Amino acid sequence: MIARFSSLSLSRRRLLAATSVVTAVALTAMAGLSPARSAGAPPTGGDITFLIDSLGSTWIPNNSAISSFQGHVWGHVTDKLVYVDADGKVSPWIAESWEQNGDATQFTLHLKKGVTFSDSTPLDAAAVVANLDIWYAGRKSDGINPIGLFPKTYERAEAVDAATVKVFFKAPTLGFIPTLGYHGSILISPKTIAQPAAQQADLSKTSGSGPYVVASWKEGDFVKLVKRKDYNWGPAAVGHTGPAYLNSITYKLVSEPSLRVAAVQSGQADVAYSPSPQELKSLKEAGFTIATPRYLGFVNGLAINTKLEPYNDVKVRQALQAGIDRKEIIDTVYTPDWKLATSFIQSNVPGATDHSDLLAYDPGKAEKLLDEAGWIKGANGIRTKEGKQLSLTLHSNPYLATAKSVDELIAQQLGKIGWKVTIRAYDVVTFGEKVRFGGPAVPAYEVTRSFIDAGTVASILTDANNGENWFNLGDSDKKLNELRDKIAGAASLDIRNPLLDELQTYVLEQGYFIPRTQIVQRIYVQSPKLKGEVYNGIAYASYYTATIGE
Amino acid sequence: MRSAYLSYAAKRFAQAVIVILLAYVFTFVVVSILPGDPITNVLRAPQNGFSEDQIRQIIAAQGLDRPIPVQLWTSLSNFVTGDLGLSMRSSRPVTTLIAEVLPSTLILASAAFAIALLLALTIAYGTQFVPKRCGQGLLRGFPSLFLSVPNFVIGLALIHIFGFQLGLFRVIAPDSFWATFFAAIALGGPVSARITEVLIANLDKESEQEYAAVARSRGLGQARLFARHLLKPSSLPVVTVIALAIGELLGGSLITETVFGRTGIGSLVQRSVSTQDLPVLQAVVSLAAVVFVLVNLIADLVYPLLDPRVKLIGGRRVRPTTADDSATATSAAVTS
Repeated sequence: MIARFSSLSLSRRRLLAATSVVTAVALTAMAGLSPARSAGAPPTGGDITFLIDSLGSTWIPNNSAISSFQGHVWGHVTDKLVYVDADGKVSPWIAESWEQNGDATQFTLHLKKGVTFSDSTPLDAAAVVANLDIWYAGRKSDGINPIGLFPKTYERAEAVDAATVKVFFKAPTLGFIPTLGYHGSILISPKTIAQPAAQQADLSKTSGSGPYVVASWKEGDFVKLVKRKDYNWGPAAVGHTGPAYLNSITYKLVSEPSLRVAAVQSGQADVAYSPSPQELKSLKEAGFTIATPRYLGFVNGLAINTKLEPYNDVKVRQALQAGIDRKEIIDTVYTPDWKLATSFIQSNVPGATDHSDLLAYDPGKAEKLLDEAGWIKGANGIRTKEGKQLSLTLHSNPYLATAKSVDELIAQQLGKIGWKVTIRAYDVVTFGEKVRFGGPAVPAYEVTRSFIDAGTVASILTDANNGENWFNLGDSDKKLNELRDKIAGAASLDIRNPLLDELQTYVLEQGYFIPRTQIVQRIYVQSPKLKGEVYNGIAYASYYTATIGE
Repeated sequence: MRSAYLSYAAKRFAQAVIVILLAYVFTFVVVSILPGDPITNVLRAPQNGFSEDQIRQIIAAQGLDRPIPVQLWTSLSNFVTGDLGLSMRSSRPVTTLIAEVLPSTLILASAAFAIALLLALTIAYGTQFVPKRCGQGLLRGFPSLFLSVPNFVIGLALIHIFGFQLGLFRVIAPDSFWATFFAAIALGGPVSARITEVLIANLDKESEQEYAAVARSRGLGQARLFARHLLKPSSLPVVTVIALAIGELLGGSLITETVFGRTGIGSLVQRSVSTQDLPVLQAVVSLAAVVFVLVNLIADLVYPLLDPRVKLIGGRRVRPTTADDSATATSAAVTS
């Protein structure tokens, strides 16, 4: 079974599991007591409990599928058209195959036959069209949002026959197929989609085609899933297509992190989500499985406001790029499970290239650049120019528990080369209100965001096509505009990949984006009895292939 | 007398209704004028990737772009007809949300209340009859101890000792008997403290009265003296404190439910506050107002029936006070 999985994170996890077997005597005994496993047939049955810190707000599929918490449940209750693994590799799932035209404006999807939703509606071409339409447009009058990351170039989809869907775009959309594997793109029964929002918000009334169905749930409390016995259309990439092995999965909300971990330690639960990184080392030593899968997306870093002084000066931005010791962040705040950033996108994103040389820690270079830019160190160690201090305000990301510790470390590092760094920590609501990309008081906006296709990147960096204009450049940077347009219009990966490489070099060299670390936002502590789970490209654990021992 | 009581009751009832409506309006105004627009913030969360135009359309679709007074009027008229609307957060009916969580809180609160009373009576009894050298002082220190240790610390300690170490209950099944029992201790402990304090003060006073000395001189046993003679007169002001305790139970349940992983009114409030889910907050605050007003209404309506000395003058109850009316004096001392 091991050989069938190919994901990086999985093999690392398995290595850890193997290490724990050596260290824990009890575990060694247990490994010897599982003849079914060694014979090759995974044991069926068993129930697991997954402790989670929140179950998000609503279960209206479109509005919730994007949330980090509900993604766990949707991943078991629904299927997707394609499967995207932890390396960003796209493979068939409900769509058995697909074709696209030369300029990537038309796609044809061929669907697997015999697939049904749990309300026994067939998952056919008409169902796929209904899903594509609501992903793109939502139903705003009814409070159903569109899926934000669905390509805005979407024109329409039509059912050619029961198993064939043709999708049309207004402009080249290379990212369409990978986006179908994104956590928002979950296939829901057309009957559910037709319901008003208040009905869709009741999770038990929502039907997907996944390997599990919702047996019962209580808002803010728990969701219990039981397996669908007739399920037979799992993604081939995970090495199993039949019914799930585990009988049930219960997601239970326990908001206190130490209680989640203690419950797994005492054997009361099987998985604890979002423990604090500092606890991981001792848990690992105690024989627990720790998984820190990375998702596809941007690394955790700072988008610089190039309109705000002194960050309108490229030398100051370059000094910032060189003045941060990224290795120290990982050593101090995190564990070796966190990886150094090699670009401003995660290294597992297809098309990401290694630019570590541009991110090397070089305080000497930083000081030289600042001297050249006219920022001279005063007696108190802070640099000034024309009576103004060299200052930087960091707004710690309230969505990331460790953000403030990283900011504090960066403040120290930059302090040494003459920067006066102020840290502001707001709650989620205030943060959303006051801190924006390019805000007048926001020199650096901390970014952590997942995406599936690197093509998304280009549309975000400037304000073209409703872009988010991360660096407050508008349309002023000619080279960036040129790269953006070429990447958006690329009809094939062979054309796009060199352009993406150029974009990465340019953005990092210009000091527009200051990477901190690769992002690990989903951390799992798991009982050693539970084995065989798979992490997809958005770092969600799927227990479809998992088994539990005695 | 009868008509006087009826007009008194009618007045009290009208007042109660007004208080509930005012509480509703007050919550609406406070939440509306709070800085920060929760809906736009949620929509603007980076992972959604909505454009400003899309956000405007969504807001308009929910009627949230209308002036506050218009929104208040719609909300208030729906409330009066019993329609609490849909939760902004989950889009589910607010009445369903409350119906789902109410039983759990009622069970926890009544268990905590029973435990609080039991603790109060036990400790108060102890302070009267445990000799000074055998730890009476320690017992008298209990209320301050309960008040000074935060509710969640007691809760976490109970979970770690009885849940994880001794395995008496599982955190993943917080509605089981033992889990509820320990949650009730965490919640009821601090509540018992106030009741105990008042009870001890009154018992101290009553036991110095002549009738207590007479009873003792007749050789009455300690337990009988406590139950038959001292408890009743000492309990009158305690009734007031108990009414206040209901508020504490509601407030405390927020923390206790979070710590013990229970899903009740407290955790609903917590989730709704963090997302500023106005319709749910409105409903819960109104519910709390209804509970408070009802408790007071019942007390007000029952009091004149119980205490024949109370006179009803112009819809108010007036009780003649005398210099040696110890119960009234203590009651005044407690509430002042």
